[in-house]
Order: sequence, then structure tokens, then C-alpha cells
Amino acid sequence: MKLTKRRREALVGYLLILPWIIGFVLFMAYPLYFSFYMSFNKVLITPYGIETHYLGWSNYKDAFLTDPEFSQKLFLFLKSNVLMIPIVIVFSLFVALLINQPIRGRGIFRAIFFLPVIITSGEVVQELFSQGAATIPLIEKYGIVTMLQDNLSPAWADPIVGVINQFILILWYSGVQILIFLAGLQKVNTQVYEAASIDGASPWVIFWKITLPEVKPFILVNLIYTTIDLFTNGFSDVIKLIQDNMFKTDTGFGYASALAWIYFAVIFVMLLIIVLFFRNKERGVPAARR
Amino acid sequence: MASFHGNKINPSRFGLGQLKFYAFLIPLGLFMILPIVFIFSQSLKPLNELFLYPPTFFVHKPTFENISRLLSVSDITAIPATKYLFNSLIVTVIVVILSLIISAMTGYALSKKKFKLRKVIFEVNTIALMFVPAAVTIPRYLVVERLGLINNYLGHILPLLALPVGVFLIKQFVDQIPNELIEAAEMDGAHDLIVFWRIVLPIIKPAMSTVAILAFQMAWNNTETSILYMSHETLKTFAFYMTTLTTTIGNNVAGQGLAAAGAMLMFVPNLIIFIIMQSRVMDTMAHSGIK
Repeated sequence: MKLTKRRREALVGYLLILPWIIGFVLFMAYPLYFSFYMSFNKVLITPYGIETHYLGWSNYKDAFLTDPEFSQKLFLFLKSNVLMIPIVIVFSLFVALLINQPIRGRGIFRAIFFLPVIITSGEVVQELFSQGAATIPLIEKYGIVTMLQDNLSPAWADPIVGVINQFILILWYSGVQILIFLAGLQKVNTQVYEAASIDGASPWVIFWKITLPEVKPFILVNLIYTTIDLFTNGFSDVIKLIQDNMFKTDTGFGYASALAWIYFAVIFVMLLIIVLFFRNKERGVPAARR
Repeated sequence: MASFHGNKINPSRFGLGQLKFYAFLIPLGLFMILPIVFIFSQSLKPLNELFLYPPTFFVHKPTFENISRLLSVSDITAIPATKYLFNSLIVTVIVVILSLIISAMTGYALSKKKFKLRKVIFEVNTIALMFVPAAVTIPRYLVVERLGLINNYLGHILPLLALPVGVFLIKQFVDQIPNELIEAAEMDGAHDLIVFWRIVLPIIKPAMSTVAILAFQMAWNNTETSILYMSHETLKTFAFYMTTLTTTIGNNVAGQGLAAAGAMLMFVPNLIIFIIMQSRVMDTMAHSGIK
């Protein structure tokens, strides 16, 4: 049989992703399916193997109705992340713009701002956080925290204070994002900038009219990356709760799985909102320009 | 607006106009270096400084006591520390190389090859990123057990290979390569392997280096596979060894010093890899011929 070009291309494509698919099915897809199944069961780990009793939705109901901590922690975490994500994005775009400038020592600065990649994924950040090195003492000293608590309802003051307390931590979560933005910035043709500045555009105008539209697809990539990064790192209180529940005898793996799936659903919905919001805007912008 | 010229990394002259950038870059840069200074300073602190309240950031009277105690403790355990180190090295090297190859192939195929499932697969990959890793611990153990990987080097390696972050990042970078470039190469008679090797790989070097750093850290700092899948002590990794040293032997006041020294020793290889890789990470897009 002679292969058409399209057939051949598809075949090559499948061959290239084959190792990934095998690994994925074995170590991600099947475990995910299994944990989904377990989330509807009471799971007991006995010396003779795993015993399951079918429970229906009751693990999920318990999570919201009887668990004193879960929904509260989930909600608080969600709120603080809604605040943190834009900060990470703006900060990393800002830094990417700066280190894209032709300045002396640019190579060194690029290395420095990429350092977070090795800080945040290891034990290092855990250690730092437990030592209280991630807070800014100045803020507490000048009473910003108490000012916020006095003026805002506790429902919003708490997450904002949380963000302030973790501000340095936020900066450390921006390594990969800076890299992605930098790649986007370097794709912009420098002649466009030159043409614009010859036409008398100020750097401010150039940023809004040329740079920002060019890096827009990268903003979406970074939003997705940041959301996932913040939600799945070891700092999440919700993840800690899930891990605690996993080996408790009265709740167990089934309940922990149910919590994990609820958490997953929350992240998923959040990303869906981000993507939809972005797609709408994408469509809106060229129309407005015309 | 002369400042928009060119792609040279360091301009030859230092002008006053650059000063405003430094005003932001230097303070922010200092924040970024702090954790690394901290981890070293912490490991050099004598015990009385480790327990100071409020804790100090910098060490006042640096001492190598913690580190030398850590090394002397490791002399008396039954299995030499070098055995664990050897295991870690093998596992880490294999994981980094294989996961790079797999992520690059997958990312390239998902971005540039047209086939039915490619959108679905990329979405599935992104969704997999979102899942809490802890929740699949038990089912993963069952898979590893059934594949006969318990007490087998492959048990350290295989579960780490399908790296969703890697595929995600590499695909985003391959997307930036214009199709015309690949088509032109094909027109000149380059087959898939050559296109991949000569055109795609050089362009996505920054992404590859990033993935290499991430994969290295994941493999090097990994204790989970040692705890769950390996019951023979001789098969466990250095990261595991460090945690046992600092938790079992050092589970007391004096142990804090050991823990700090252990954290530092574990961190140093990460830093070395970072220093080797970072120049490639940040600097290649501009020279890669895509605009």
C-alpha cells in the first residue's frame, strides 16, 4: 500500500508520541481512572489487599457537608490565588521587558531571574517558608496589615494579607513565566520598534500598541502555567488536607480521592474561565482595530 | 530610541540611559538571590544561631561543623553514602535524557504533525498537569507492582518519564517555529529525522534546557520512589538517604544543624546544573533565525 503524504505524516506523528502515550496510560491515565473509581468507595487497606465498599456520592457529599475544613480551606485558597496569579503575570512581564533591554550585564540578570526555577521546586522553598524568610518585615512594622483588617471585611482582608505575607514567594514563582515572556518578546521584529519610534511613538505607546499585542498569546500560556503551578505545588493547604486524609483510618484513600477530584474540578473550571475570557478578547481586539 | 537596536547580549558601552533599568533590576535581583544565600548561610550556622529568635538571615560565626558532622554520621551506617549517590546519579542521568527525548518528540509531533488525536492529546496532557500528584500515589504503586518494578532500577525511572510539564513547554515553543521553515527544509529533501534534529531541536533549545533543569530536579530530589517501590536499602537514592539521616539520627535539637547541612548538600547539584544550563535557556531565541 502506498502511503499518501497526509497518511504518512499522521503515522510519523503517532510514532513520535507513542512512548509518551505508553508512559501516560500506565502512570497517569490508569491511576487517575483508579482514583476516580475509588472516590466512590470506602477504601480499607488491609494486610490482605485493598477492600472497597461502594458508597455512591457520599464521599463527595461529606466533603462539603460534614468536613469542617475542606470547603473553607478550598475557598480561602481560591481567593488568594485569584489575587496572586495576576501579580505573577504582571511581575514576570515587567522583568522580561527589563531584561530584554540592551543593558550591561544582561546575561547575569537573566540568570538571576531564572533562579526561581531551582528554588521553588525543591525542599528549599519549604525550608525558607518555615523559617519565615519569605515575609517582608517592613509591612508588619508599618501597620499595613492592621489597616487592611480595619478597613475591609475579613472575607477579603484575609486573602489580601495572605498575599502580602507571601509576596516574596510570589516573585519566586515567576522563573518559567519570565522565560516564556522573553521568548515572546524576542520574536518581535526589531524593525517594527524602529519604525514606530521614527514615527514618533513614545516607549509607553509602543508597549501598549506593539509589545502587548505581540506577547498576548504568551500571556495565556503563562496564565495556564501559573494557575497550575500555584494550585499543585506543595504549599496548597488543600493538598496538605488531601494528603492527611489519605492515611487516616476513618476517611481513607477513597475520601482523599474524592477531595482530589473536587480540587481538580475547581482548577479545571478556573482554567476554562481564563481560556474562554481570553478567546473572547482575542476575537474582540482585531475587530476593534479595524 | 537607539536602545531598541540589535540582539547583542551585552552592549559595549554603559550609558546613563541604562540607569533606570538598573534601578529596578538590582533590588529585584537581590530578592531572587536571597534564598540561595540563605540556604548556604543556614548550613554554616552553629547550633545556637539556628535557634535564635527572631531568626537571623545571615550567619554570624560560620562553621563547617554541621557539614562535617553529617559526613561523619554517614560513615557509620552499614551502606556507604557513595552507593546511594551512585544510584541517584544513574537514575537522574537516565531520567533527564529519556524524558528530554520523549518530551521533545511529543511536543514536536503535537505542534507540527497533523493527525486526528493531536488536539485531544494535548488537552489531556494539560489536564494531567492539573491533577494533584499525591492522589495517584496508591494506584501508581499498584501499577509499578504489577509491572514487576519493585526493587528494580526501572521503578525509579519509568514513573518519572511522562513529564506533562515538559510536553506543555516544548509544544509552546515549537508552535513558534513557522511552518514555512519546516516546509522549506522538506522541499530540499530533508526527511523527518533531519527536520527534527537540525531545525526543530536547535530552535527549542531554551525550552529543552528548561525541561532538563526541571527533570533533573524531579529525579534528583525524588524520595517517593525510594520509599514506596524499593525495599532493598542498596537500591535507594541519595535524596532518600539524606532525609533518613536528618530525620532518624537528627530528630532532636542537634539534628537541625544536620538538616540544614543536608538541605545544602542536596541543593548544590541543582545549582550546578542550573549554572551549566541557564546560558542556553535565556539566549537562544534571538539567534535561532525565527522572527
